[in-house]
Amino acid sequence: MTNGTFKDNPELIARLRDENTCREAFAEVIATYSEPLYWQIRRMVQSHDDANDLLQNTFLKAWQSIDLFRGEAKLSTWLHKIAINESITFLAKERKRLNISIDDEESMLINTIEADEYIDGDELKLKLRKAIATLPEKQRLVFNMKYFDEMKYEEMSEILGTSVGALKASYHIAVKKIEQYFSEND
Amino acid sequence: MDKDNDILAKINGKSGMTVPDGYFAEFAKNMAMNLPERESQNIAPAPRSTWQQVRPYVYLAAMFMGIWCMLKMFTLMGTPDSATGIDNNPTLISALNDDSFVEELYADESIDSYSLLEDLYNEGFEASDFTQSVSYK
Repeated sequence: MTNGTFKDNPELIARLRDENTCREAFAEVIATYSEPLYWQIRRMVQSHDDANDLLQNTFLKAWQSIDLFRGEAKLSTWLHKIAINESITFLAKERKRLNISIDDEESMLINTIEADEYIDGDELKLKLRKAIATLPEKQRLVFNMKYFDEMKYEEMSEILGTSVGALKASYHIAVKKIEQYFSEND
Repeated sequence: MDKDNDILAKINGKSGMTVPDGYFAEFAKNMAMNLPERESQNIAPAPRSTWQQVRPYVYLAAMFMGIWCMLKMFTLMGTPDSATGIDNNPTLISALNDDSFVEELYADESIDSYSLLEDLYNEGFEASDFTQSVSYK
């Protein structure tokens, strides 16, 4: 379990803005955030290889647009936004490539889960992944951030641009659906 | 988080997904080493064409012309005010100050002195009016 909440280091932010030190500072950003961002992406796309590619894309985009990071939001929030956008864009491209609708994304993800070689072999966890795959995209994001990352609703609200109330409702519905999935697939 | 739920509590936030050994350390090292040169974000704005430069001034001038035309039209459509009334109409004033115009209009040979005097008497003029305004020295 990884807590997605990080406090920004002002000295690191200052070094990121300095032409002479930004590369070195960004290496620290990669070292700090690669794990939480990887899990964020992996839980959405399920495949390790896809998550690895999308993590690279996330850091490349952040690196190319670091000048646009004004420090109004936290660095972690900004990076999570990029990672989520990358994941959602990837899933949309996959749906298009495989010619399936968003409603049929569940089967695509379940196929990926079943083919995944990087698992610990726990059947209950595998079942939970399949249950999460049945959720709509936004609920899946909310559930992952709250259940696995134990992220605060306020930070989730900043990342997803959704009100705290709506996020709480979304999480509650997601939990109910997962319970239902387990009861129906005993 | 609803940890009261048995299954979710049992799983305890573990997804069951794993990564290859040393993946994160290797990833961070390779990613940092292979960062490309950054594309400059300070891209100079494209030069503006002459039309783009003068366009605001042309629009401004057109707006003033429109306002002027509207005002002109409203003036023409409205009733004449005192400044252009018959008593101080600049055209009439200049015509009456022009001796040749007056002579042409009133010193017409077709009007003889008798008719003129008769008209004046009919208007209420008296002979004394003339003796007051014309002095004989």
